[in-house]
Amino acid sequence: MRTLYVDGTFAGWREVARQALLQGLAPHQLHWQDADSCPGLFDHGQAALPASTGHLRVPAQLLQQLECAARYRGEARWSLLYRVLWRVVHGQRSAALAGDPDGSELQRRIKAVRREAHHLHAFVRFQPAPAVSEVDLLAWFEPRHDILAWASRHFSERLGQQRWLIATPADGVHWDGQRLHHHRHCPRQWQVWATQPDSEGQALWQAYYSSTFNPARVNPRALKQHLPSRLWRHLPESTLIPQLINQARHGAQHHSQAPVLLRRPGKRIAPPDSKD
Amino acid sequence: MQLLDKLTILADAAKYDVSCASSGAPTRSSKGKAGLGSTNGAGICHSFTPDGRCIALLKILLTNFCLYDCQYCINRRSSDVPRTRFSPAEVVQLTLDFYKRNYISGLFLSSGIIRSVDYTMEQLVRVARLLREEHLFRGYIHLKTIPDAAPELIAEAGRYADRLSVNIELPTERSLVQLAPEKRVVSIRQAMQQIHHGEQQAQQERRAPRFAPAGQSTQMIIGADATDDSTILHNAQTLYRSYRLRRVYYSAFSPIPHSPKTVPFAAPPLLREHRLYQADFLMRGYGFQARELLGGPGNLALDIDPKLAWALAHREQFPLDLNRAEQQQIARVPGIGMLSARRLVALRRERRIRLADLLHLRCVLDKARPFIITADYRPSQAEQESASLRQQLRDSPAQLALW
Repeated sequence: MRTLYVDGTFAGWREVARQALLQGLAPHQLHWQDADSCPGLFDHGQAALPASTGHLRVPAQLLQQLECAARYRGEARWSLLYRVLWRVVHGQRSAALAGDPDGSELQRRIKAVRREAHHLHAFVRFQPAPAVSEVDLLAWFEPRHDILAWASRHFSERLGQQRWLIATPADGVHWDGQRLHHHRHCPRQWQVWATQPDSEGQALWQAYYSSTFNPARVNPRALKQHLPSRLWRHLPESTLIPQLINQARHGAQHHSQAPVLLRRPGKRIAPPDSKD
Repeated sequence: MQLLDKLTILADAAKYDVSCASSGAPTRSSKGKAGLGSTNGAGICHSFTPDGRCIALLKILLTNFCLYDCQYCINRRSSDVPRTRFSPAEVVQLTLDFYKRNYISGLFLSSGIIRSVDYTMEQLVRVARLLREEHLFRGYIHLKTIPDAAPELIAEAGRYADRLSVNIELPTERSLVQLAPEKRVVSIRQAMQQIHHGEQQAQQERRAPRFAPAGQSTQMIIGADATDDSTILHNAQTLYRSYRLRRVYYSAFSPIPHSPKTVPFAAPPLLREHRLYQADFLMRGYGFQARELLGGPGNLALDIDPKLAWALAHREQFPLDLNRAEQQQIARVPGIGMLSARRLVALRRERRIRLADLLHLRCVLDKARPFIITADYRPSQAEQESASLRQQLRDSPAQLALW
């Protein structure tokens, strides 16, 4: 059994995996470690595989799939990638397909990573930034997988010349209006700014959220299905959910109008003919 | 009136329009440019309300003053609701602010009919023009189109909006006459025809101005009248074919305050709505015809989904050998979707399909099992009677309790 070290990046794994493949090391002969599985790993020097030269042919699509799955934080992060790569290079093309046990896990991870990127695009909530931060908008997010650097490019398309940053418990990104800067360790100051409450700016949004909800259709099960509760902490509207459900279920009202409008004075409008 | 108050009233007034799609727009980016917003064809749901429906767009009315008296509508002129009106600048401000905060991907703007049809349409177009031309907003815009509006106004709306929609409102002309006395099927269809024509022109002529690139949709209210599902699905099919609609939305009628006697005051028929969406999806994505799903008059079954209902009624076509059948046929098996069908066909180029492969693909095995043959499996239930199979495969009562 040989232990191989990855610096936590796909590019780093790819280089090590290339050498291992060229030397004909089979998946069961290898043990993969990175900073997560072995903290303090990179404080010491490490024994690298001796460099070999040679050519490997790997389909571009497989490489893309491996890169995507590499963002998944979980057990056997690097060994799964190597096993799939090994099997495909040795002629078992089904190893990357969803019908295969390894392929199924690979595809599941790709799906989870894409889903988490989608969560970032959907549920990040920006708020105006304090002047000293030298950005216009900032946000806090706790992604499950290492998607931030890759997935946050979406916001440079979306926000034009606005400057912004996203802080997480691990890494952070900053868009200065021209370029995206990724910090593998999020600056502490960003984390402080990004977790400040922003109650004022959220009032309009919360009013919208309450009003656009139709109490006659209340369906907490469907809500949970689409919006897992682990994501609620990112959303200023989520504090309203228990109360809205409660009112809809136990209130005296059985129609669809927002309860806050219930006793407001209304205005009937005369038919057009009667004005003539 | 405060902005917050207006938003409370005009979002409440707009929520009966169920469309929330923000997909289908062409790729637009604001990277390094003045202005704001991007689209890439895929929609994003930014939140979900406790009714389980998504929030993708800021969905509001410009005003809920209305001269019409549609019985099913909370904003009808005889309704006793608080009334207000946004200025175009207020809508712009709200849209841009919500967009920057990443609450929404764009705006869905509609309005009550004030003064005249053309005046109302003009106001809607004005907001879209402000957003696009003064604020260089590149996010998604969906504009409601008022039937009978002047053709040049609809043409202008199509230049600014990604999607236009004209609501068909009710499934039959008879119901429309009864419940929406100011609306006429012929003008609704004319507006749809004009939008369809605009889309075709934009596609065919390279120099033609862009026109509603995310197409048009419509909405039909379910359960406000007595129309059956068969009529509804056949009408939807006609609309898809005649005007190339992207979507027909089915909106279960929700009871409204001070409900007129002409419409029911009952819980919205959510499960019926759900089955109609499933059937609609089979027509749009799987090549099913309305008459395959409902041959004669009547409603879709509530206890089983429409694909399973179809398969149980066509046992002669099953069991299907997954190692031989066409992809299109495989997708017709209950519990196997379009994506899984494609993946099965890809996999069988490498080796023979086994039952366990369906598990890896996360197909609904219980539903699929009686209808398939794989290298290692042949159903013993193949001889089982459809009635008892149905009993076995029906959705559990817990899942039915949507209310």
